[in-house]
Amino acid sequence: MMGRIAALGRLGLTLVASLGRSGRFLFGVLAGVPRPVTGFPLLVKQLYAVGVLSLAIVVVSGLFIGMVLGLQGYTILSDYGSESAIGQMIALTLVRELGPVVTALLFAGRAGSALTAEIGLMKATEQLSSMEMMGVDPLRRVIAPRLWAGFLAMPVLAMIFSVVGIWGGMLVGVEWLGVFEGSFWGNMQSSVDFADDVLNGFIKSVVFGFVCAWIAVYQGYDCVPTSAGISSATTKTVVYSSLAVLGLDFVLTAVMFGDF
Amino acid sequence: MESSAYITLRNVVFSRSGRRIFDGVSLDIPRGKVTAIMGPSGTGKTTLLRLIGGQLRPDSGEITVAGHEVPKLRRKALYRLREKMGMLFQSGALFTDLSVYENVAFPLRVHTRLPEDMIRDVVLMKLEAVGLRGARDLMPSELSGGMTRRVALARSIALDPELIMYDEPFAGQDPIAMGVLVKLIRDLNSSMGLTSVLVSHDVPESLSICHYACIIADGRVIGEGTPEQLRTHPSERVRQFLEGKPDGPVPFHYPSGDAASDFGVNGEGI
Repeated sequence: MMGRIAALGRLGLTLVASLGRSGRFLFGVLAGVPRPVTGFPLLVKQLYAVGVLSLAIVVVSGLFIGMVLGLQGYTILSDYGSESAIGQMIALTLVRELGPVVTALLFAGRAGSALTAEIGLMKATEQLSSMEMMGVDPLRRVIAPRLWAGFLAMPVLAMIFSVVGIWGGMLVGVEWLGVFEGSFWGNMQSSVDFADDVLNGFIKSVVFGFVCAWIAVYQGYDCVPTSAGISSATTKTVVYSSLAVLGLDFVLTAVMFGDF
Repeated sequence: MESSAYITLRNVVFSRSGRRIFDGVSLDIPRGKVTAIMGPSGTGKTTLLRLIGGQLRPDSGEITVAGHEVPKLRRKALYRLREKMGMLFQSGALFTDLSVYENVAFPLRVHTRLPEDMIRDVVLMKLEAVGLRGARDLMPSELSGGMTRRVALARSIALDPELIMYDEPFAGQDPIAMGVLVKLIRDLNSSMGLTSVLVSHDVPESLSICHYACIIADGRVIGEGTPEQLRTHPSERVRQFLEGKPDGPVPFHYPSGDAASDFGVNGEGI
């Protein structure tokens, strides 16, 4: 019994210590604002690695999820004779929830894991140490551009996901199942509010982008510099990011849409 | 020696994960000389370099480099001091996404505002010094272990540092690569007037190039002096290390219980 209590205490201490380290790490990264001349090219390079290279998976996933939403929505709504509301259903589902959440999950799996593995390997091969010894701060040179790139790329990817998803839903609903195009777009336009839906969805994707990028770079920077350590850190990035996104989604949804 | 010391350590105590690595280490590293720090694996030789470079902070004690107390320096001052230091890591630690040329140019691009043609001249001169001017377009993955260290050496002298620290430069090298590195360390030290600190457990190579050496074991300095003084050192422990004897003050057997009871023969027949 005492052993279990001690193990629980140890777990708590480890968790608090890890949270403290990640907070200090984040402060260190944000405090060292990159110089515009040297920092901008590094940021652009990371935006390409983190954002542009994630486009394919985001577009394909968005298309299929939109198409599935079209099919499922039509099946359910046609029971009530309201299949014309399919556009409204697809748009609200994607813009409010699935766009930010699924993009963040894909982002954690595609870009987050890559960031962790890259930084972890740089640590294991002493590249970060050698940078420090050359008088170059790796937080500013390596970590900050990656954190900012993740933070900036996620909302854009989420928007692309939602747009492609709506288009996929339109393909199924309008082109395949024959829903009237005017009611598809008209219902969508009349029911989707910019501030309540689009902006709230955007805020969600900004929060998720920040959290996913933070977790990814921190796990890479803090990992045990061995192959097993990098493997474990990469797994942690995907698991922690996914849990954080789903948990935060509930909190944000309750705050944004929970005013009944 | 005190007045000409470039690096001074006084009663340095350092622990990690509850284990005491250094227990009151005091050491003077002379300016403009090659100093070898030797000792068995796991005694914290690399840790000592990291303490000197300010990557780790001691629990107590003083570490002074070029008159600056390293543990007390603020981040900005520490990074400025590091521009005067070069460090050759055991793995070379080249940036794998940059070519040989760009690796050597990296510190110049970050710390200077030299025009591109001057950066090119400096990079080629440094690569020429390590005999790899012709390899400038190769990527780190295309280099052998010895070439990787030579490129890393060129990178660490790119800014003409005052101090250069070598972390196990000979480990895992074939005889030719080892000979090249020995020659480079000696030549660079004399031609550039560097202060060199060499951490190694390769005794013959280290003693052949160093002016001064110290041996660390069990968290403290067990012997120091010129190579000649160390070879005739009164401590058996020092001589066991230098001569590579398998048994002595450092026993061959890891501490263990009674052999008879382990083998289950109650002492009879053993």
